[in-house]
Amino acid sequence: MIKWTALGLGLGLALVAGPGSAQQPDSAAQALKQLSIEQLMNLEVMSVSKRPERLAQAASAIQVITYDDIRQSGASSLPEALRLANNLQVAQVDARQWAISARGFNSTTANKLLVLIDGRTVYTPLFSGVFWDVQQVPLAIIDRIEVISGPGAALWGANAVNGVINVITKDAKDTPGLVVSGGGGTHLPGFGTARYGGALGSSARYRIYGSRFARDPSALPNGQDAPDAWHLGQGGFRLDWDASTLSRVSLQGDLYDGRIDQLSPGDIAVSGGNAMAKWSRTISETSNLTAQVYYDRTHRTIPGTFGEDLDIYDVELQHQTRLGARHDLVWGLGYRLINDHVANTPALAFLPAHISRDWLTGFVQDEIALVPDRVHVALGTKIEHNDYTGFEIQPSGRVNWTVSPSATFWAAVSRAVRTPSRIDRELYAPGQPPYFLAGGPGFHSEDELAYELGYRHHQGSLALSVATFYSRYHGLRSLEQVNPPAATPVVIANGQDGESYGAELTANYVVTTRWRVRAGYSELRVHIWPNPGSTDTSRGATESQAPDRQLFLHSSIDVSAHLGFDAGLRAIGEIARPGVPAYAELNARLTWQPTAKVDLSIVGQNLLHRRHAEFGASATRRDIERGVYGLVEWRF
Amino acid sequence: MAAQGVRASEYQVKAVFLFNFAQFVDWPADVFPDSATPLVIGILGNDPFGEVLDLTVRDERLRGRPFQVQRYRSVDEIKNCHILFISRSEGARPEVILAGLKQRAILTVSDADRFAERGGMIRFVTDRSRIRLQLNLEAAQAAHLTISSKLLRVAEIVRRPGS
Repeated sequence: MIKWTALGLGLGLALVAGPGSAQQPDSAAQALKQLSIEQLMNLEVMSVSKRPERLAQAASAIQVITYDDIRQSGASSLPEALRLANNLQVAQVDARQWAISARGFNSTTANKLLVLIDGRTVYTPLFSGVFWDVQQVPLAIIDRIEVISGPGAALWGANAVNGVINVITKDAKDTPGLVVSGGGGTHLPGFGTARYGGALGSSARYRIYGSRFARDPSALPNGQDAPDAWHLGQGGFRLDWDASTLSRVSLQGDLYDGRIDQLSPGDIAVSGGNAMAKWSRTISETSNLTAQVYYDRTHRTIPGTFGEDLDIYDVELQHQTRLGARHDLVWGLGYRLINDHVANTPALAFLPAHISRDWLTGFVQDEIALVPDRVHVALGTKIEHNDYTGFEIQPSGRVNWTVSPSATFWAAVSRAVRTPSRIDRELYAPGQPPYFLAGGPGFHSEDELAYELGYRHHQGSLALSVATFYSRYHGLRSLEQVNPPAATPVVIANGQDGESYGAELTANYVVTTRWRVRAGYSELRVHIWPNPGSTDTSRGATESQAPDRQLFLHSSIDVSAHLGFDAGLRAIGEIARPGVPAYAELNARLTWQPTAKVDLSIVGQNLLHRRHAEFGASATRRDIERGVYGLVEWRF
Repeated sequence: MAAQGVRASEYQVKAVFLFNFAQFVDWPADVFPDSATPLVIGILGNDPFGEVLDLTVRDERLRGRPFQVQRYRSVDEIKNCHILFISRSEGARPEVILAGLKQRAILTVSDADRFAERGGMIRFVTDRSRIRLQLNLEAAQAAHLTISSKLLRVAEIVRRPGS
């Protein structure tokens, strides 16, 4: 189940009286009893003097998807798991492509969402977005996914304009032994994962894994198979070493290789890998230091369209220290270097084809206990230097007000920017002059000012959370006619402004210890308009394709100790432009555990209709079909 | 958020673990003569929970069965018990206590060092301020307890050395 923010905060507040205080141990027990065993294991207990909660998260619209949630949902990939967060807009485009965003501005090249896997930015500087087809973290090693809607720029930096997704994998210590799982179904012709966790001496644990899957094609509107079947294999490792009582070291890496069908002139090839090292050290009771360095390589060839080889080198340092009784200071520095080689084609070109660029970032944030345990304020800013626009400053202020042990208000004002990517400045179509479309040499950062107000309530076995927001955008991407009124050529510019507002509601109810239900509902409005002098009349039709409302209902029942049944319904509103009809779909999962070492599951996906569409213009739209698959997991 | 955003006292959380274990363990039918027989959580030795464990299980029912907390000074006092928490004061000599229980269908839990390797069933391990579980599955099976996969999945399975 999603760990609703409300539950967390309500719980935190119920318990914030701290050790030695006998204040309402009863309500604390009630709150704790709602947590799963895994959630209990993730709780930080009070025995160590450490501040576990970052206010930047507490005073934001955060939802956390746990490993249990993912299992129960029957999700077979990371994007499917992200449907569990109702503060995201998630749409499956075809067999491999997804459009995922928060607070609107969704497209297959959505560019206002920052996605991190274990602190590694999953990012293509081509369009400041994510190629979801190659983010194939085996779901079985995910510990949790934190989803924050709204700007996270002050801590996370550019791209975190409308949200941050943080995928966190399990510590090697938490995946011991050999576990093999596999299965297949109507749209998953075969998939399997094997992982093994062991010890190296008494202070280090490691894990290795390998996985492979294939996916059948999506459907054309006439019901025939679309040419987009694909398969991908991936392997990786993680080592966690307690180098001393005060310092920890983690090493991890992954490699993958995949092939994707396309109509012509040849298969799409994707491959890549990453390697990462993290080190953290406790300097004193109130101070700690972390450092990480990673290398990430991706290769993609789309015959007829383009090819890319991208290398990213990144190093980050972060220091946290408490100053006096009221201040908790975090600051950090980061440097990123990318080398991007594009193989241009007659269809389109990135010019220059090869670039090398770097980013330098610094951030500082002070969390101030204005009224300890009642009113906390976080003030911070990120300062970033990039090769396109120079320095960018992204400040934010957040406040968390604990009204009572069961109720919290939070509010935030933030500025965030979406800095230019290659697509904005360096994209040309076709690949040779005369160009129909040209990148804008003057394209500057898109700018957002966001106001957020939230409330969380926790009462007995019910947890509620509401997040509301209003954002104003300046300089959104536009296509401007070079020789008006001639429709073409067009050049990319910052000719549009916009605003968005809406609300995200979540409710979590523990009916009995064996039956939990939750609901999510969101309303979203995005308005985009041309600025004076702009010739772009699209009113943002290509920049933001998101439904006005979404509703989610999920039920999870432990029928017996060995039998579980889960069902999840989602109702997604129409996407007005380009006119994707509203739809409702149901996923369900039945799991039986015949022995302690074996789990058998059967999962139905999109059960209500034979096929439905979720995204895209009708001419190119693909349908997603009803699917059923079986899964066996052995633990040796 | 719940997981990473909350501070709770150690024995408050352990009390909730003990309560939850009742849902993840199947006992042989004969330990519950009728449906009203309470599920007994016992504490052997010095009680680190205070009132917390009592408050945690108060008014709770499992398949209609109420919970009851009992406290024992020695193994001989244990009559009807389903989950037994062996406090650190006693956990230093778990072999003696476990021998005294003679593989009765009692889930034995402790935070004492190497408790599970020494024949206990579940040990709470505090690691970087989080509580993890070690589980000796063979010990549980020997006592005819069936452990749910939900627990097996999250616990580290340990064995008695040499077994």
